[in-house]
Amino acid sequence: MFRVPFLVAIALAIAFSGGIWSTRVALDATIGFGAIKLGAWEAFPEAQTENADPYAKSHRANAGKLLYATAEGLSFTAATDDSGARLSGNCAYQLTGQTPSARYWTLFATGPDGRPPAADADLPSSLNSRMVGREPDGSLNITIASRAHSGNWLAIPAQGQFRLTLTLLDTPAAGSSGLIDLAMPAIRRIGCGNV
Amino acid sequence: MSRLFGFLSLRRDFLWLKILFAILTGLVGAALLHLIIVFSLPQFSQRDAYTRIIAEGESHRFYRLGEQPDRAGLSKEDPMMEVSACSFDISELPVRLTAPNGGVPFWSLGVFDASSNETFSINDRTSADHVLDVVVGTPAQLAALRKSLPRGFAQTVLVETQQTEGYAVLRSFVTHKSVIPVVSKFLDQATCAPFQWRTRG
Repeated sequence: MFRVPFLVAIALAIAFSGGIWSTRVALDATIGFGAIKLGAWEAFPEAQTENADPYAKSHRANAGKLLYATAEGLSFTAATDDSGARLSGNCAYQLTGQTPSARYWTLFATGPDGRPPAADADLPSSLNSRMVGREPDGSLNITIASRAHSGNWLAIPAQGQFRLTLTLLDTPAAGSSGLIDLAMPAIRRIGCGNV
Repeated sequence: MSRLFGFLSLRRDFLWLKILFAILTGLVGAALLHLIIVFSLPQFSQRDAYTRIIAEGESHRFYRLGEQPDRAGLSKEDPMMEVSACSFDISELPVRLTAPNGGVPFWSLGVFDASSNETFSINDRTSADHVLDVVVGTPAQLAALRKSLPRGFAQTVLVETQQTEGYAVLRSFVTHKSVIPVVSKFLDQATCAPFQWRTRG
């Protein structure tokens, strides 16, 4: 007797819970299509434009962040190292190589809550291109660890997973959505625990 | 007797078939709802950047963003970038964005429409004399402005847009703690006011 309402209830429950759940997951997991992927780094040069795909537009409408416009810069983020393992505050990493050409860049790590570090932190939790020393050939060599290291050191929280954000300011990379001679620094794990 | 059991199991098979059909219908509905939400979210979102900048306060002035999210939910996304934002409406008059450059190492301006699509962007290298001076208006307003361009506006960048509502984001880069006063002064002196120019006659 209750078979038809029961069937309708099943269909509606699956439709609403599945639809809302899948949308939430999709908008949390990705900023959209059209990413530039360079090793572990990814950037979305068109996320703030009219040409952004519906997922990117939906994501930015929901996140409500002020995105970098084309002449301003381009933000690359990395959640893993070059081997594909999640970046963990328990481990130490080495960032080596060149950035794409840009007038300046900034580098910092965000914790699981996604908040950037404070600007007046006691530890060097954010670096920029004016601060770091270079190798003789001009390339970068930055140690990313929660404990102090000699040379260029980016401090990260000791626990939990983190993401790296490397923002290029005034870069021709922001205007190109293809992979034209762009190279990002490599992220290599040095070791975990007491290193 | 066996015929009766056979009949019952047949009915049960039909029930499972119907449940399967209901699940399939639900999955199709879920996919449809997913697409509907993704496509319509930008229209009804109350958390998008434009709504948040509107919530900062009255329009036509720049608001500095802090490290912690303010009551509008906006905050700096980079510890080394100082950011201020301004919402504007150019249905009556164009808006003029200016800031005297007291020697900041880098500044950049992004102009967006109400749906957060970029309409224009500029930085200190691409501007004249490294000074921010941009007028955003509708094509009709700028045509009238060009006809009677007042003196001293030769370096002003005129930006045409069809969208009458939007916002501007001004950023400046803090290379070192020592430039914080210069950067703060630059952002505090930035204006985002309706542009009233005198027409002849």
